[in-house]
Amino acid sequence: MSHRQEFENKDVGLIDVLDVVLDKGVAIKGDLIISIAGIDLVYLDLRVLISSVETLVQSKLDGDGQLSSEQFEKEKEALDHVTKT
Amino acid sequence: MAELKYLYGIIPTDELNQTPLPSFKGLDEQHEWYPIAFDGIQAIVCDLEESDYNESALEEKTSDVEWVHEKAFHHHEAVMRLHESYTVIPMKFATIYTSKTNLEETLTNHYQEMDGLLSWLKGKEEWNLKIYCDNDSLRKRTAAHNLTIEEKKKELEHMSPGRQYLEKRKLDRLIDQELEKDKEQQSSSIHDQLVTYSVKTDIKKNWNKDVTGRTDEMCWNSVYLLENQEAEEFLGKVKQLQKEWKEAGFTLELTGPWPAYHFSKLK
Repeated sequence: MSHRQEFENKDVGLIDVLDVVLDKGVAIKGDLIISIAGIDLVYLDLRVLISSVETLVQSKLDGDGQLSSEQFEKEKEALDHVTKT
Repeated sequence: MAELKYLYGIIPTDELNQTPLPSFKGLDEQHEWYPIAFDGIQAIVCDLEESDYNESALEEKTSDVEWVHEKAFHHHEAVMRLHESYTVIPMKFATIYTSKTNLEETLTNHYQEMDGLLSWLKGKEEWNLKIYCDNDSLRKRTAAHNLTIEEKKKELEHMSPGRQYLEKRKLDRLIDQELEKDKEQQSSSIHDQLVTYSVKTDIKKNWNKDVTGRTDEMCWNSVYLLENQEAEEFLGKVKQLQKEWKEAGFTLELTGPWPAYHFSKLK
């Protein structure tokens, strides 16, 4: 089997397709095409989708940060306790 | 009723004369696609009912992620079908003209450029590389083998426990930064070895895990335009690199051959 056959037979995932057909391909500006408005919307939606997930993850991370700083406070207290006695 | 024209791509007339257009159902799953001739080029389109696909209808449809996924795949399939038999200028998903006249105006304005682009694209194909990495194992390696980090660790040993705690957190951040640098450098060295086979290349942005739906992280995303006859050697090289980098935690995922989406640019 040639290398080509081997690679060609691979499944293409959704991300591979969206990464190509939404991001690239010829778009002619300055003409009266619906796609310009349409595609911006698609883009926007994907971005909104992505950024909302990102915000979610970020707030989780921030939450963890608070936890560990609490943990830090506790350890600090313990340390203070040890050094004072 | 007014009909919109959904444009998939542009192909050369002489190639269409040699291989007739295969049958294919358009975006609405009703209208068959067909060519609109314009001098030496052909616009491959399908008709869409104005009432179903006008701007506000489309706005509603494109806000439905499921619809976008399904139709983006349809667009991909259609352009791939063209790419199998012809040289093609692939259009972006959802390129819709309000009328035939409107489409013909565009073709008139861009005919020279499109014709030139088609001759240039003839015999070329696009391959896309995404590199994913196992962050945890890479992080361990960076932490163990990085000189800057090694030094910091030694400094730590002589500090008081409280200070050590703070400095360890700083060190963690430093490891993260160094990890990013390592990933970028290593991916870039893989890329450099593939550039030599290509007519043109482009480096794209990485998508995060929420978009890729994978557990490993995308650390590189690039595209290569190749002469057809270079492909076999290029693919052999990719296979070799896949083996070489597997142990280090890098997964090289190559897809193609794509129509030249990233290299079809009109002014």
